[in-house]
Amino acid sequence: MGKVVNIQPVTRIEGHAKVAIHLDDAGNVADTRLHIQTLRGFEKFVEGRPVEEMPRIVCHICGICPWSHHLASSKAGDACFGVTPPPAAVKLRRLMQMIAYVGDKLLHFYFLAAPDFLIGPDADYAVRNVVGILSAAPDIAKQVVHYRHLTAQILENFAGRAIHPTFSIPGGVSKPMTEAERLEMLDHAKGLLDFSKFTIKFAKENVFAKYMDAIKALGVIKVGYLGLVTDDGTLDFYDGKLRMMRPDGTYDDFADDAYLDHIGEHVEPWSYQKFPYAKTWGDGPVMDLDNPVGVYRTNCLARINVCDKMATPLAQTELEEFRDNFGRPAHLTLLYHYARLIELLQCAEHTVELLEDPEITSPDIHTKVVPRTGRGVGCVEAPRGTLIHDYESNDEGLISRANLIVGTTHNNAAMNLSVKQAAKELIKDGTYDQAILNKVEMAIRAYDP
Amino acid sequence: MIGQLFDKPILIFGCGNILFGDDGFGPAVVNHLKANYVLPDDVLVMDMGTSIRDTLFDLSLSEKKPKKIIIVDAADQSDRKQGEVFEIPVEGIPEKKTADFSLHQFPAVNILQELKNLTRIDIVVLVAQTEVVPDTIKPGLSETMQAAVSDACERIMQYVTSKNPKKPYEDQGL
Repeated sequence: MGKVVNIQPVTRIEGHAKVAIHLDDAGNVADTRLHIQTLRGFEKFVEGRPVEEMPRIVCHICGICPWSHHLASSKAGDACFGVTPPPAAVKLRRLMQMIAYVGDKLLHFYFLAAPDFLIGPDADYAVRNVVGILSAAPDIAKQVVHYRHLTAQILENFAGRAIHPTFSIPGGVSKPMTEAERLEMLDHAKGLLDFSKFTIKFAKENVFAKYMDAIKALGVIKVGYLGLVTDDGTLDFYDGKLRMMRPDGTYDDFADDAYLDHIGEHVEPWSYQKFPYAKTWGDGPVMDLDNPVGVYRTNCLARINVCDKMATPLAQTELEEFRDNFGRPAHLTLLYHYARLIELLQCAEHTVELLEDPEITSPDIHTKVVPRTGRGVGCVEAPRGTLIHDYESNDEGLISRANLIVGTTHNNAAMNLSVKQAAKELIKDGTYDQAILNKVEMAIRAYDP
Repeated sequence: MIGQLFDKPILIFGCGNILFGDDGFGPAVVNHLKANYVLPDDVLVMDMGTSIRDTLFDLSLSEKKPKKIIIVDAADQSDRKQGEVFEIPVEGIPEKKTADFSLHQFPAVNILQELKNLTRIDIVVLVAQTEVVPDTIKPGLSETMQAAVSDACERIMQYVTSKNPKKPYEDQGL
């Protein structure tokens, strides 16, 4: 009987995870299991609650991406009540989403991923941490803090709250933007864009090129992808149709409210977390490393793969360079970090675009809603993947059924496969050390679970 | 509020998920403090929910560091009485406890330990022993934990009045 190597907690990821690596008698990897804490009972808890309260309640599901839940819930509320928010309201929702995402992507790259790369994956944990970054790159660290704090301040100053937002409501948003606010925010947005441009240049020159061997080897799996695109195939974080791409690059498009026709939900006895899978790709899910069935990924690498193009010019240039180097679909797991920074650029560019649009200051920000029986699916691309809120309301406007699939959950099967691949590649004959275990962690951190 | 993050020398963060029973102790303490106490001007108190990791990351890299951070949280330790309010030394949190320290969606202990070891910030982790943290969503504190809220507030007021730094902040570096 072999032994079990536990990595607990997995440091610097956005959730609470542990990895169990099961070794056989010869000390080689027999199996691995990634356990991620999940929020249970939410769907039952919200039954009977007013639809218009949902965007405020759901912010408490996740402390890391409250804006994503806030907006997905608002969109589900729009659909339940059968209303379309005015254009300015949609633009303000998009603006808040983009600013929140710029802060989030900076957080992930500099604070969660960078210690592995700037200090080195083999370095001792005592220095391979966020404070180690301060010593390794002090000037950059100062700028990161400045711009991350700026995104939080913008959100709080305009929307009232950065952490538990109350800004978006079914039918629109709760306040318009003044011209003075637009001008002030535009000035800040240009600073965010400049730093985003610097960040991807810095990463390409100092991280991705330097660690290409690790990128080509660690956690690599060949599975499918899911993400939102517009009708012409452009990557969109707020709205669009869902595109599910097979490992060979062929894909199906479908409306978000048809997700149940395409996505199944599997359970395993050893995990609280669900395992969504592609229903139409055969008898899945099969989490076999050599022949996975039904397994797909979400989050930035998936979005970069499924889209035909980016929405903004600088991000499009980066996508073209990325595809020249890695093809489409790109399957290397550590490319999540690269894809995340291409998205960072789109978010920052789109922030400026939105603030240069005079319609964003329109006072028409809300469409009146009337309680009714209905179903609403709100789908956005959260930083960690496709986020689906699916509500049904009764004639009093109260929730009668809810179903949620969050970004990290989509990636559950794929993360387990990547962990298994990394562990099998690195642990041989019972030989492992902290550096090896950290590399297994790196395969998880790329997904930003 | 978050705009004052780097300007206040004492930061009080209430942590926890109000959807999970006694796990909402930290936010409840913050609400009680705001409603019933006059806090000194150099204190910033915030309900961080489950979002504290972002803020700890920012603080760890910022040039402007506070003198003191008070984390208010829920805990589950077998040798404590339900509703008991006590401090956990950051460096004293056993390795095996870092994962089940609370129901939060974040392993903030790692970052707290980095802050404690590598900066001169005085970090206080003030917790109360939970009675009920449900497996599924059920908001609201137990009576035992509700009673502990005022105890925690009194302890916090002692921290912020008797050990109140005079300077708004210092550039402490590392």
